[in-house]
Amino acid sequence: MSDIRNPLVTTGSPNANASNRRGLSHYQKGRLLLGGQYAGLTLWLIVSLLPPVILLAAAFNETAMFRSPLALLTMSEFTLANFTTAFRAGDFWFYFRNSLIISVAAVIISVVVCVPMAYGLNKLRPRIRSGLSFAVLAMRFLPHVVLALPLFLIFVNIGLTGSRLGLLLAHLAIHIPFAVWMMVGFFENVPKEMEEAAIVDGCGPWKLFWTISLPVVRPGLNALAILVFIMSWNEYLFALFLAGSDAQPLTVGITRFMGGVEAGAQYGVIAAYASLIVLPVIFFALVANRYIVSGMTAGAVKG
Amino acid sequence: MQNNSLNRYTRGWYFVLPGLIAMLLIVAFPLGIAARFSLHDVFLYDFNNQWFVGLDNYLRAWSDPLFLNSVKVTAIFTVANTLGCLVVGLLVAFLLSGKRIRFKIGWMALFLLPFVMTPVIVGITWRLFMWEPDFGVINQLLGMLGIEGPYWLTDSSTALFSTALTNAWHLTPMAILVLYAALTTIPEETYEAARVDGAGPFQTLWYVVLPMIRAHILFVSIIIMTSAFREFDMVYTMTGGGPGRSTTVMSILAYNRGIANQDMGMANTIAFTMFMIMAVVAWLYIKVYKVNKEASA
Repeated sequence: MSDIRNPLVTTGSPNANASNRRGLSHYQKGRLLLGGQYAGLTLWLIVSLLPPVILLAAAFNETAMFRSPLALLTMSEFTLANFTTAFRAGDFWFYFRNSLIISVAAVIISVVVCVPMAYGLNKLRPRIRSGLSFAVLAMRFLPHVVLALPLFLIFVNIGLTGSRLGLLLAHLAIHIPFAVWMMVGFFENVPKEMEEAAIVDGCGPWKLFWTISLPVVRPGLNALAILVFIMSWNEYLFALFLAGSDAQPLTVGITRFMGGVEAGAQYGVIAAYASLIVLPVIFFALVANRYIVSGMTAGAVKG
Repeated sequence: MQNNSLNRYTRGWYFVLPGLIAMLLIVAFPLGIAARFSLHDVFLYDFNNQWFVGLDNYLRAWSDPLFLNSVKVTAIFTVANTLGCLVVGLLVAFLLSGKRIRFKIGWMALFLLPFVMTPVIVGITWRLFMWEPDFGVINQLLGMLGIEGPYWLTDSSTALFSTALTNAWHLTPMAILVLYAALTTIPEETYEAARVDGAGPFQTLWYVVLPMIRAHILFVSIIIMTSAFREFDMVYTMTGGGPGRSTTVMSILAYNRGIANQDMGMANTIAFTMFMIMAVVAWLYIKVYKVNKEASA
């Protein structure tokens, strides 16, 4: 991530003064460019952060309605009352429990199932491997509604609607292709020579996976766990179809709360509720962004 | 060591099987059910009565103005998202990869926030605080410039633009991080060589850098395209598909047909059409990617 080069920035090479055409010294030009770069980055930073920051500001202010969101940023009417209302009237902990159980279970199962599968895919004969890879890729691009409809029909038949188990299965249908595709990218970084040397030394198939390959893809495991957690935590469409009334996660909780009488039009309480929901994922982005980045780019360089 | 004996020795199938069975059960099987229902007349809460109607649902869909409208809306939404994210993502990634820019990881972490934010919350936040016509940030800023902003989400001529922009805001970090990672792989000598040949920054970007990260651009376009194509959560929480049918993307139409109209046959037909479009995209991606790889090898 460090040591990045960019043509926008002239380095201090001795003959660079030759480009001094507009009467600016080479040094001044460099400063100007750097300033421009920082200005561009800052502008995008403001665009990126304004909505979440306003959401937080609204959550901590007394009346968020009929006031400019920009005025909220002054925090002139600081209060925590919105959060207590969100907890009490919004049934927060009920939805929170469902979200947490489903997300954690999804992470565990995804890791246990997808990591070996990605490892094994790389070991199959090229033709079978590329066939299976295509299937995984096609499933990774699957629109969620394509699965939500038939899963709803199936779950009605086997009595799984309104259960966390059913919702978990639906999540896994999205996570498994995603996670396998991502982990294949990580396993390709394992040097072939390392595995071959281990085989020559008499290493068995299981030991080869567990002690040789797996340690190399450790960062990939973190990335997988974090990304699957975020995807499960953020999921809404499956919940809408399959959660019934007992298994509803937070994303359904807040939309129901918004439509309910308690919320009315209390933007502050809605903002508090929403802030609580995004808190864990924002925490991950700030603390574990390294893994999110490596996970999202893992599939980029392979075919 | 011979590749084949390595394959046999490592017992790849044993590792693949659990995941493969899971995928067959929870992905392939439901897909088959979706395909089957798309050929039947079947209604919600009345699954025991099904009539095989062949391709009738598909024919009905393609002569239904609502469906055709949703295809158009989805296409505009998807293309706008892909282009918007690519251009902004490339620009930001290029700026961030500057040699003298400090705290790169810090910038990146903050840039990621829109991407990890729950889509439902993104929708709610933008609806209540950004697009809100009287007090929302966008119209406040426009007001400072003396422009009276429209009723973004409740005006059918601006609703699609507003939802697409919100979704692009959510997806752009994806483009930034992939393209940034790609830019860091370009060696210093390339830039040196371009400079010696007298190329300015933007010529360097266009003629030297872009061709080198072609594969990454392709990858990130596909990822953004597929996410925008299937988007449901954000649009649904922002407009519910309205006003009128101006933001009824295919996902929302499938949901409405299945749940509100209880026409599960038609819902599955729309959904399965979406799946077939995505399967073609996946197939094309692999084709183009292989060509790309051979060309650059």
